[in-house]
Amino acid sequence: MNPAAWTRRQQLERAIAFGALVLVVVWPAVGSSYWAHTILVQTFFYGIAASSLIFLSAYGGMVSLAQTALFGIAGVIIGNLATKGGPGGVSKGLHLGWDPTLALVVAILMTTAIGLLFGLVAARSAGIYFLMITLTFSVIATYALGQVTNISGFSGIGGINEYTPGWIGDILEHPNRLYYLALGVAVAVYALIRYVIRTPFGLTLQGVRDDPIRMSSLGYSVPLHRTLAFGFAAFLASLAGILYVWWSGQIAPGNVDLPETINLLAMAVIGGLVRIEGAWVGAFAFIIIQNYVRDFHVPGLSFGGTLFGGSFNTIIGIIFLVIVLVSPDGLMGLWGRIFDSRRGSRWRRTPTQRGPSAPGRGGETTAA
Amino acid sequence: MRRLNLRSWKTGVILAAAVAGLTVAATTSFAASTKPVRVAIMTDCKGGFGFGYELDIGGAQAAFAQYAKGKAKNKAKPSAGMTGINVNGTPIQIVGYGCGNDTVPLAVTETKRLMEKLKADVMIGPLSGDEAVYVANYAKSHPTKTFIIGTAGSQDPTLQLAGKNLFRYHGDGAQWNAGIGEIAYKKLGWRKAAIIMDDYSFGWTSGAGMIADFCGIGGQITKRIFPPLNTTDYAPFVRQLPPPNQIDGYFSAVGGTGTAAMLKAYEQAYGKLDPKKFVGNLFFAFLGADKVVAPKVVGAYVGGFGTAGGLKTKQAAAYRAMVLKTYPKLPTDDGFVYNYYNAGWALVQGLQKSGGQLGAKLNAALPRSIRPGFQVSNGGVLHLDANRQAIQDQYPLQIVKNKDGSIGAAVVGFVPNVGQDFGGLFKKSSPPPGRTQPPCKKVKTPWQGKIKVVKNGVITNQVIK
Repeated sequence: MNPAAWTRRQQLERAIAFGALVLVVVWPAVGSSYWAHTILVQTFFYGIAASSLIFLSAYGGMVSLAQTALFGIAGVIIGNLATKGGPGGVSKGLHLGWDPTLALVVAILMTTAIGLLFGLVAARSAGIYFLMITLTFSVIATYALGQVTNISGFSGIGGINEYTPGWIGDILEHPNRLYYLALGVAVAVYALIRYVIRTPFGLTLQGVRDDPIRMSSLGYSVPLHRTLAFGFAAFLASLAGILYVWWSGQIAPGNVDLPETINLLAMAVIGGLVRIEGAWVGAFAFIIIQNYVRDFHVPGLSFGGTLFGGSFNTIIGIIFLVIVLVSPDGLMGLWGRIFDSRRGSRWRRTPTQRGPSAPGRGGETTAA
Repeated sequence: MRRLNLRSWKTGVILAAAVAGLTVAATTSFAASTKPVRVAIMTDCKGGFGFGYELDIGGAQAAFAQYAKGKAKNKAKPSAGMTGINVNGTPIQIVGYGCGNDTVPLAVTETKRLMEKLKADVMIGPLSGDEAVYVANYAKSHPTKTFIIGTAGSQDPTLQLAGKNLFRYHGDGAQWNAGIGEIAYKKLGWRKAAIIMDDYSFGWTSGAGMIADFCGIGGQITKRIFPPLNTTDYAPFVRQLPPPNQIDGYFSAVGGTGTAAMLKAYEQAYGKLDPKKFVGNLFFAFLGADKVVAPKVVGAYVGGFGTAGGLKTKQAAAYRAMVLKTYPKLPTDDGFVYNYYNAGWALVQGLQKSGGQLGAKLNAALPRSIRPGFQVSNGGVLHLDANRQAIQDQYPLQIVKNKDGSIGAAVVGFVPNVGQDFGGLFKKSSPPPGRTQPPCKKVKTPWQGKIKVVKNGVITNQVIK
């Protein structure tokens, strides 16, 4: 790890990443509380969820619409296991009252197992069929949570953030703990994905992405690799779901319905489906738009007689459309294009690097 | 030049200190008295109750106009805002309107936006039951803020959760249905009934009121059916109901667009609707159902919404006049307007008493009794119980055909002082309404046998027999 050996682009990107990391580390001490505990913390956990989607897309060639469902399933499991019922307690769910740490581990394991199961079913399909199967998982999850009232019901489970593990403590009293936990998990997830894609499994997965027939003829099990990738992505989504329920305190079918599924996809697309960093960039952009665009009334964009509800959906839709048209690789792709447009300048990349602009190809996979 | 002696130096210091002290005190006092109270109005602008947006905002702001000098920016559009709201020198600043969609996830982001980004001190709202459960949980973890529920029918917020900074000046969904079971028992002669209710908190709470009231007087609920929210095809659920020849009637707590679809499925399964076989909740007569559902069930009895359209009392007339003075087109007898109005009015009273102080002082100062337009019992005074939940008069309705041929809901009963506990059936320690809660149990509710007949908007002395 010698910065002097990095290209100018790598130096700049890593300097920006380091600066951003320092900024978010000191933010709770120097910045607005709303930004820390609403904007940034959401960026961290939605970024993790989006990174699971981007991992599957960039390195497995699978665009999954089931990640939001897995995110919600983890939340529902921990909500049922950790919360307690009784007088004055919350009203819905099983309220088994388990130790929150145990509930946390079981929620992650169960969600990963469900992800493996989903993956097993979907692994033999590709393209639009894979998309449809994962959309089906999402719909099944929404209706299962809505209709099985013992575990959730349409009202969902509330008060989950009162039952956090002792080693985290009271996050309602000390919201910075959740902030730093979410930040730490986000950094760890990023590092883990970067590690996994360099392992033999990760490299094989990329081979499966690029040419499944050739990989199959070489003796690799394509469905197995896809299934394992799906399970790994489910593990990541479960972390995001648990952080979400600790942040919001609740989980309901509305968290995993089609609009939420599309929202997560929008985050990933805005950030760019080619680089893992795009997950957090996209989540940040989406949450900023969600929180601030609505405060501006755009004449002609308010539908249904409401002041801002219609505007938000319209504006996010327009931004989504512009990004898809102008830069199909999202903001990260746009960043790459800026460098491409400066070929021959001092920003020029070394010939050994793969370009990040190939959609769905995980351009930075082999970058040192 | 005069020499500085000790005496004059001391005097100077004392004088300077006094002036500085007075200045600081005056500045502090001035700042305290002029620092606005930041109020957020949380409602829905999307989803099934999106139409309540202007009604809710209008209701709360009409109270601010009447009791706190507020000036509406646009008399036809409450959400355009209000200026000049001031309670005895303490300005009220409306920092934002929440835009929910009847789901919890959006309630989460909207509540955080209003309370954390826009830094509201007080929330009036939300509109719906599930949202209120979330807000009640949020209130418990934010004890320095105050929450006055706008119009939400779930029971949990003020019975099972019951944060000390949470207030509700109207009934819950069960309270709204008080009296309707007794009417079915006495007026329709029902003894055995089935119930179909939405499978979520408001459906359960609304159904709980019907079950508690009907079973309380001796009726039996033989079957409970729970279609999921947003069901479009009710045939599988209606088919699970006992056929009409095996039962005296059906209670319905199916809401939104589901009500008409459910009745249609019933007709397809069992033939023409007999209005005397159905007792509905507010979704038979309010919230747009008056145009779609009501014409199918003329003659059916319906649970109320805590309001009494057409009630002829001085208090009701005064309330209507106050609202119309600010917003001439607002439907004063609508539950959304009425409940948000009372919430806004209670806040003004609380701030008057607390001298503009917030947090625990405001919570202590918020009134434990108010005089809302449609309250008649106790000389027109509505009291809160120990959980800061209203004990409110309720008004069962009947779908009628008016002289001009239009279909509407007329108040037919007056149920005095309906408390949330239904005579001890619902407790903090009991599970909140659900699929099996409450059990069908004979209980003497405080209003049993005391429901008075209302004719042409006048409460008579005759009790319903």
